[in-house]
Amino acid sequence: MAILETDDVSIRFGGVQALTDVSFAVEKAEIVGILGPNGAGKTTFFNCINGFYSPSAGRVHLHGEDVTDLKPEERAKRGLGRTFQQVGLVRSFTVIENLIVAQHKSVKYGLVAGLVGAPWVLEEEAELRRRALEVLDFMDLTEHKHSPVQGLPYGVLKMVEVAAVLATDPEILMLDEPLAGTGPEEGQAFCNRLKDMRRELGLTIVMIEHHVPLVLGTSDYVYVLNFGSLLAEGEPDEIRGNADVAEAYMGEGATTLD
Amino acid sequence: MTTTDQPTETHEQVEPPVAFEADEADWRPSREGVIARLVALGALVVVIVAIPHLVDDVYVNLVSRVAVYGIVALSMNVLVGYAGQVSLGHAAFFGVGAFGSAYGLAEMDVPWPAAVVLAAITGAVGAIVLGAVALRLQGLYLALVTISYGLFAERTMFNIRSLTGGGAGQEAPRPSFFESDVQYAYLCLGFLALALLFDWRLVSSRSGRSIQALRDDERVAASWGVNVTGYKLLAFIISGVLAGIAGALFASINQVAVAPDFGFSLSLTFLVMTVVGGIGNRWGVVLGGALFAVLPTLLDRAHENFHFFPFSIIEATWEPAIGALLLLLTLISFPGGLAQQLGPVLGWLQFRKFAVDHGDAGPATAGGGMGARP
Repeated sequence: MAILETDDVSIRFGGVQALTDVSFAVEKAEIVGILGPNGAGKTTFFNCINGFYSPSAGRVHLHGEDVTDLKPEERAKRGLGRTFQQVGLVRSFTVIENLIVAQHKSVKYGLVAGLVGAPWVLEEEAELRRRALEVLDFMDLTEHKHSPVQGLPYGVLKMVEVAAVLATDPEILMLDEPLAGTGPEEGQAFCNRLKDMRRELGLTIVMIEHHVPLVLGTSDYVYVLNFGSLLAEGEPDEIRGNADVAEAYMGEGATTLD
Repeated sequence: MTTTDQPTETHEQVEPPVAFEADEADWRPSREGVIARLVALGALVVVIVAIPHLVDDVYVNLVSRVAVYGIVALSMNVLVGYAGQVSLGHAAFFGVGAFGSAYGLAEMDVPWPAAVVLAAITGAVGAIVLGAVALRLQGLYLALVTISYGLFAERTMFNIRSLTGGGAGQEAPRPSFFESDVQYAYLCLGFLALALLFDWRLVSSRSGRSIQALRDDERVAASWGVNVTGYKLLAFIISGVLAGIAGALFASINQVAVAPDFGFSLSLTFLVMTVVGGIGNRWGVVLGGALFAVLPTLLDRAHENFHFFPFSIIEATWEPAIGALLLLLTLISFPGGLAQQLGPVLGWLQFRKFAVDHGDAGPATAGGGMGARP
């Protein structure tokens, strides 16, 4: 059974039909790429999946459960983590503080215990800090742990954001253009890291990215959106040879993506 | 002076050396440094504890007032600094607490501690009503609603004769063990200490962090599993409880609560003192509160004692103008307020280096500044 599934999702903003009957399914521990030109509706699709938008029609299923009517935080509690196109971090906090807040849903102590400062609260806080350092170490970001978020270079921020989402302990990681602002070598290193995450943490990954060769080289399965509807889907090799996709991306007359 | 100007901007231009940052956070003072700090902190505590005895008899109530304003400043800080909401009607929570306590004391004959609890509850209820609106509005519109809420409280709620005693006000006697001015000042200082402790715990636990996270970005907070609605409302409730308790303490300073004490200009003073103190910084806002608690008396005494310009023309009624001037100076040159100006000293006292802060004051300046400008 698919871990994440959408069923004919459509959304309309006033006179603009942003998505039309988009269906997709992601299996556990799969890496799925979402391609498409600017304005194709990729981020809108993410917003429908994680609950920022309510689709005008269609359903979203998480672990087989219909979550279409749940709030974003409730979907997050069911294991859905996402990043943002514009860096999604608490900008007045330091890196490690961000990773500590991100662990919000795994904190067990209650409001009053936290305010009183019960012994188990202090213990759990130390544990949160330890886990945050662990994630930073995994992402090779230890050197930035005490840096304020404001002032870090964009590429580092994108990685800190991924680290923060990892700290939420998700089962599904949805990445919205994680490679924006990074160079080609860094891009390849990041894609290798995604494969590590899948292997070591059993993560399922859905990624929107414009860097076509990297997406095709990393994903198990690829969906291509264009003008709000699915243009093509298939394994990377099928997409690579798909003339429609090449035309949408490269302009009229193109027949392959390479 | 020049180095501390415009913290956020300089920070974006000059990238901090990363290794240096990490060292900074792990830095510990030497043994001599620890001793020096302990001595300074000890002296500070001794002075604060001795203040009610040191000042002239007529100023003892002013000490209580300083403590009360400090608690209000912390209450404002939770809402404006941590949650990033605007409040131009804070005198309403304050007044609701004052009248709640006075009603309990005078009409229901409850013991003083119970009256404080009553004030906290009425403050919280007052805040929930406003909070419910705030969940649906933002920025300028929220500011307008808070103003009208404050005016409604001042003109309507506080004039219901059966609850507030109308023009004569409602009596609010002091508790039996703290009847003298000096004793009562200690009680108020004790409450301020508790409020500071509470604020520290709030920020170091999950609730305070989540409230700050949603201030910076509600979507990000929600995507991490933070219940945005719930925590926003929680910020209002905490703020209301603190303001309500402060109101109860305030009512018993003069032992009577009267409606004109809780007007719109008081709401403005509360916001200005929080911004001038340094939004997001608990020591800064308490200092700002203290400054604005003594300001009218200060102006009065200056007028009486210095017979030359500019003191000859300044009067206590100039307080709003002076407040506005300080607000402008703060926003232009020290967005972090007193906390930013005293940054090196405050940092040193908290066992860090005596170093000029280059704008990474964290929650203090960054988000708060925007939230404070309605």
